[in-house]
Amino acid sequence: MRGLSKLLVVCFGLLLAGCATDPNGANDPYEQTNRSVFDFDQKLDKYVISPSASAYVAVVPTPARTSIHNFLLNLDLPVTFVNDVLQGEVDRAGDTLGRLAINSTLGIGGLFDPATDFNIPYHKEDFGQTLGTWGVGEGPYLVLPFLGPDPPRDAAGQVVDIFFDPTTYVSIRSHIWYSAGRRYMSVVDLKSRNFDTLQNIERGSVDYYASVRSLYRQLRNNEIRNGRPDVQNLPDL
Amino acid sequence: MIQTFARTHFTGGIRLLALAAIVAIAMPFAAARGATPAEDFVQANVQKGLTILNSGGSKEQKREQFRSFLLGLTDLKRVADYTLGPVKNSTSPADLAAFEDAFREYAFAVYESEFTKYSGQTLKVTGSVQRKADDFLVSTVLIDPHAAKGSDPITVDFRIFGSPGHFTIADIIVLGLDLAITEQDDFSSFLSQNNNSVKALTANLKERAARVRAGGSLSGK
Repeated sequence: MRGLSKLLVVCFGLLLAGCATDPNGANDPYEQTNRSVFDFDQKLDKYVISPSASAYVAVVPTPARTSIHNFLLNLDLPVTFVNDVLQGEVDRAGDTLGRLAINSTLGIGGLFDPATDFNIPYHKEDFGQTLGTWGVGEGPYLVLPFLGPDPPRDAAGQVVDIFFDPTTYVSIRSHIWYSAGRRYMSVVDLKSRNFDTLQNIERGSVDYYASVRSLYRQLRNNEIRNGRPDVQNLPDL
Repeated sequence: MIQTFARTHFTGGIRLLALAAIVAIAMPFAAARGATPAEDFVQANVQKGLTILNSGGSKEQKREQFRSFLLGLTDLKRVADYTLGPVKNSTSPADLAAFEDAFREYAFAVYESEFTKYSGQTLKVTGSVQRKADDFLVSTVLIDPHAAKGSDPITVDFRIFGSPGHFTIADIIVLGLDLAITEQDDFSSFLSQNNNSVKALTANLKERAARVRAGGSLSGK
């Protein structure tokens, strides 16, 4: 039943994504609602995430934080591997598999990152990116509570990625708490590593919401292109 | 949102411009390579910037040199005009000129606040593409000796216009994030909420530049 409901979410998401129009415009028909949710997420960040990240940095020593970071990245690699394959990126799939094998063994379950010493670079893929490489548009811009910018293509992708994650199929007594804890730690870890960057974006923006919308889209498109410059579609300066 | 941003290390909005300044001015190239004229242009100006950075003058003198160097190197008017989008066509020449000035001053204020952060990064040209007779994209990668192990390389692409001997840097793209596009999206949202008033946007930029120079909050909150 749970699988069916996830599938319905995916179908709904793809349907919305298929409605994507006006790629050159803001394509933000729910802007007022999105701004309200964005404000909520900002408050959540201010009163929960930022204090948590500050405490995390203050209490947990750097080597331990690095290991936690490595461990969290390693958990994501199976999802990245499946999406590498779905995108036909054979070399990158090999890198991902190599990292997973080396860091899970020599790296003691992913706590350490010897794969980087073997010149196997880290990268991340998700099903939202895979859909992007298949030509699916992101759909109307959406901001979700707790999740931030998450247009239909990417939201649907996140649901599909649950099926690609081996830990989904591991019987854990309280799986919901495992999922919530992993998600929360990921956010705290990422926030703790990017305090200055996020603050700079807010400070440098005339309209922070609009800047985040723009940067989110550009970043996702860059990820879909695997970092290759979009030479043909540069702004007409 | 945090998850999305934190996957990489990018800076937003006008801070991209600041990174352009740091990159263009402060960073030695990791390796010289056989280069096109556009690539040579970037490389030569990095050397000039290094000379300024390493000169023995006072902080104020360096700042002045830095500013005049950037004035000759960049074409901020081209970016400023682009960021207004279609509103530019209905803007009076006086308002447009005032906006271009405010945009340039804000950009320089951010440059100045950022350029002291140079700490040994290097830059390597990885290639270039000629889009039109006078339109080039020079790709580089930033090498940061202080970056955490396993960090993604930071790609920095320069949009160069002109011809050999007359090149200027008009735009910069850091990790796929385009300064001109980001600023246009930011400004157009502000303009749509303020009756397309370029004067209001100009006033906002001036306030921000003053705050940056005073070392205070940029957000105004």
